[in-house]
Amino acid sequence: MNEPPPTGSQNPIDAGTPPREVKPSAIEELETEKHFRVGIGARLYFLLLGAVVLMGGATTLAYFTFNETLQHEIQLAEYSMPNLIDSVGVARKSAIVVNGAFRLVSASSKEEHRAVVEATAREIASLENTILELEARSAFDEQTRLIRSNLEELGGHLEVIKQSSARRLDIVRALNVFIDELGETSRRVERLLVEAIDDQAFYLISGLRQLDDKVHSIKKRASEDELTAYRNLITVNQSANLAVLLLDEVLVLADRQFLIPLEERFQSAVRNFVQAYAKLPDSMQNDLLEENLTRLDEIGEGPEGVIKLRMEELLRLGQEQDTLAKARTTSESLVSEVNSLVAQINEEAIQSSTAARSAAQTGILLLILLNVFGTIGAVALGSVFVRRYLVHRLTGLASAMREMASGDLEVPVQVEGHDITKPGKDSANYFTRNVKYLVWDDEVTDMARALEVFRRYAREVQRLNLVEKLAKELDAKNENLEQALENLKAAQEQVIAEQKLASLGQLTAGVAHEIKNPLNFVSNFANVSIEMADDIEELMKQDDNLDLEEIKSILEELRTSLGKIKEHGKRADNIVRSMLEHSRSKEGEWRKTNLNALLKQYVDLSYHALRAEDNSFNAEMKEDLDPNIEEIVVIPQDICRVFLNLVTNAFQAMNEKQKKVGSDYLPVLSISSRPLEDRVEFSIRDNGPGIPDDVRDKIFEPFVTTKEPGKGTGLGLSLTTDILVRHGGAIQVDTEVGQYTEMRVSLPLEPPAEALSSMENKTE
Amino acid sequence: MMIRMTLGLVLVLVTSWGPAWAESDQQTIVFGQSAALTGPARELGIGMRLGLHAAFSEVNREGGVHDRLLRLESLDDRYEPEAAIANTRALIEKYKVFALIGAVGTPTSKSAQPVATEAGVPYIAPFTGAEFLRDAKKRPNVVNVRASYYQETDEMVVRLHEDLGIDRISIFYQNDSFGQAGLNGLRRAVNRHGLSLIEEVYYTRNTEAVKIALLDLRRANAKAVVIVGAYKPAATMIQWAKRLNFNPYFINISFIGSAALARALGPDGAGVYVTQVVPFPRDTSLPIVAQYQKALMEIDANSKPSFVSLEGYLAGRIAIEGLQLAGPAPTRENFLHALTQAGDIDLGGFHLRYGVDDNQGSDQVYLTRIDKRGRFQSVNKMSAP
Repeated sequence: MNEPPPTGSQNPIDAGTPPREVKPSAIEELETEKHFRVGIGARLYFLLLGAVVLMGGATTLAYFTFNETLQHEIQLAEYSMPNLIDSVGVARKSAIVVNGAFRLVSASSKEEHRAVVEATAREIASLENTILELEARSAFDEQTRLIRSNLEELGGHLEVIKQSSARRLDIVRALNVFIDELGETSRRVERLLVEAIDDQAFYLISGLRQLDDKVHSIKKRASEDELTAYRNLITVNQSANLAVLLLDEVLVLADRQFLIPLEERFQSAVRNFVQAYAKLPDSMQNDLLEENLTRLDEIGEGPEGVIKLRMEELLRLGQEQDTLAKARTTSESLVSEVNSLVAQINEEAIQSSTAARSAAQTGILLLILLNVFGTIGAVALGSVFVRRYLVHRLTGLASAMREMASGDLEVPVQVEGHDITKPGKDSANYFTRNVKYLVWDDEVTDMARALEVFRRYAREVQRLNLVEKLAKELDAKNENLEQALENLKAAQEQVIAEQKLASLGQLTAGVAHEIKNPLNFVSNFANVSIEMADDIEELMKQDDNLDLEEIKSILEELRTSLGKIKEHGKRADNIVRSMLEHSRSKEGEWRKTNLNALLKQYVDLSYHALRAEDNSFNAEMKEDLDPNIEEIVVIPQDICRVFLNLVTNAFQAMNEKQKKVGSDYLPVLSISSRPLEDRVEFSIRDNGPGIPDDVRDKIFEPFVTTKEPGKGTGLGLSLTTDILVRHGGAIQVDTEVGQYTEMRVSLPLEPPAEALSSMENKTE
Repeated sequence: MMIRMTLGLVLVLVTSWGPAWAESDQQTIVFGQSAALTGPARELGIGMRLGLHAAFSEVNREGGVHDRLLRLESLDDRYEPEAAIANTRALIEKYKVFALIGAVGTPTSKSAQPVATEAGVPYIAPFTGAEFLRDAKKRPNVVNVRASYYQETDEMVVRLHEDLGIDRISIFYQNDSFGQAGLNGLRRAVNRHGLSLIEEVYYTRNTEAVKIALLDLRRANAKAVVIVGAYKPAATMIQWAKRLNFNPYFINISFIGSAALARALGPDGAGVYVTQVVPFPRDTSLPIVAQYQKALMEIDANSKPSFVSLEGYLAGRIAIEGLQLAGPAPTRENFLHALTQAGDIDLGGFHLRYGVDDNQGSDQVYLTRIDKRGRFQSVNKMSAP
């Protein structure tokens, strides 16, 4: 609040530190600061060497794992897989051979039979080859021997079935031919007999045989011969039909034993139609019918007839099925041996395959791990070494260079937090410090050091230049400032003079009252003195009775009265003198002054001045002035203006408040003084409206007033401040809105240097 | 392309009347026929084959259907069901036919058609009116041309009852599924007129043992005998009836083989009726008949028009129509689908219509009578001789 204004006489250059000289020793210290160091090149070589070692390790590892995989694969490819393929081949071919027996029995044609025989023979040959290969390759002798023996046994069964089923198929073929022929024959027989029976029945009823015949008599057509012929025709038809049906049954019957009774019944049926046919009259016998009937007998009973063939077929089928059962047993044993071989070889292959897979998996895992570590290493190298150790620090260097380029040479060069102007001192821990140097001390650090050396040179050079330049600029500015200051001073003095006149005017009323008071005394005492002179003269006229005592006493009273006149005349003279002093525009003199008295005098002056304007105003005065306060050296004209300003403000404020509040309010002005350690403090306190906070901060600024326009200049407190500053004093305000305002003015007991010099000059 | 087409045409022309056929290729659609080419029903199989050839040759001469030539493979089944099954299998599996066509007979069709249905192969225009083939739901692959036996027998009863006032109607039938089909149809027909058959007699297939049956008919005093059988036993029976002075009206079902019957009967044929399911083959006022005669002359100048070969021709024409409708990439499915969706198909005055539940194209039944000279006459009504 009370910072001293620039005095204008001080050179700012003097305030700065004196220009620092370039100290080559410090730079040398930086340059020669040698630690254990590993350069970037060395570090890169080291990292590359690490990578090469890692790669070498990986390659070796890969070589070993893949070599192992390869060994297993070779085992699998050259031994296990062919064995497996062969064993599966053996299984498949065995199945075909075994199946061959069933297919031979169930073959329905010669072609199918032949195809099965050929296929089976081919598979047996191929199977033997495969077994030979297996035997040549490895040691499955036990299984292959058993397979071979089973195979030979099965071959024997197959041969039996082959022979039998071949013959059986011939029979089946012959039977099929018979079936067709039997159908044809039986249809012809039926047609011939049905027509013959129809003819004979028609003849028996109608007596007609041909369309152009004449009708035979009933005696002729119903003779015993005709009726017997009709009966025999029917017998032939029935027996022939029965024979055909029996043969049909023979063809479908599966049980060989039942063929014998069927054969017997067929023989009797044949006997029946042969006998009945023989009894037919010649006209009804014809070659076609006879031929077909004979053929029917042959089909059934001939040495290569249906019944004999069917018997042989069923016999062979039974035998084949027996052999098939044996073959099944053999084949089960064969299949079991083959399965055991396949299982064993499969087990081997699985072992090889598992070993290969596990070796490959191990290799893959190792390579993945190497890859992961390699990747992490590369990332770490990139981020930690390149980015953090190199790029980051180089960026720091670049940033420091940019700052220097832009002219800021004050920031020391720092790289990765290490201030190289204070090498090693920013770390308390010896270990950390040393590790840091081990890491940091490289080409970048060199550059940083070199840059720092450059910065220091540059800074010193820049400072020298700057000081020179500033000095020149300040000289020019000072001249301007001095000129401005002089102008300001002239203006200030003018203002002060005007203020003085203003306060003079303000005081005039008070002064007039002050002067009038002693003049009244002078006038009264003068009248009293005249009366006393008259009294004396009266007494003197009475000579005889001259009362000297009386005259003496009156003279004494007269003297006293005159003394009063003199005293009051002097008092008036003082008032006028002090007024003259106050209005004197000439700079005041420093002299010892009783400030208590001065304050009291200006309180009176101000009070009367205000009452002269507004005689309704009354205020109670309270004094608490410490009489022990010494006189101190001040410029009285200035200090009295301070008191006048403060007191007038107080009265005016209270007057305003009284006008607002009314007669309940009694204005009280308290003045006090007290000595402090090396100062004296005067307090002027009113119980006026107080000063609001927003106004309070500005009251010491010039041209600020709360009074009505025309009543205040706004310069009072501003000048007060100036005056007090000049006296090395101070002013403080303490206020509460609506309650009070207290202004405290303090002045030093020791006068400022200016006062002393001024007083010395005067003494000289 | 042109060379290949021409070659194909020449090949068809050269080989169209022989059993030897060019191997199947992309440009040919093969149809398969299993029918009696030998035996008592051979006239029917040969007639159908002739009509089919006439139709196929006709369209092949014009470049085929959608640039594809048609070819027919015919195998003989001797009217035996077992052979019909074997032939049908061979045609489907070995000959890779697109469709089967022109089978002859009810028992043969009854055996062969399930084979075709199982394989999804169209079974076109069997020469039979049996009712089971008209069940479109169970047999979606069957495409019938002719009216059914039920319709024929119905027409017979209508004519006998309405034109002649006869109610003593009997039947002479072949004892197999064909005869049974005719018997069932006739029973239904007479029942609808409030009548019943006064006698039902049969003969054994492939025999001429018909005379005892004739005695039964005579004893029953039948005024009309509906014959559902083969021409030979039918002719024998009719001749013996005349010999016995037993003269009812004889009405044959279309399957009889009209030309063969007339030939076998000779002078005894006068007044014998036959119902037909195709137009009269000499009635060139119908455009289809004129086309048929022209096509027939193209392949065999000596052949005479007959009901059977006309039916074969119509079978061929409906197959061609189906292929036309199926588009340039015919499949069995879109062939059948196209026919069911085609609506009314007018083959030169002979109308056919198929539907989702209707696999029988024509409902037309025509009545014919053999005159004294052994020739067929087209008649609308029956009349006393």
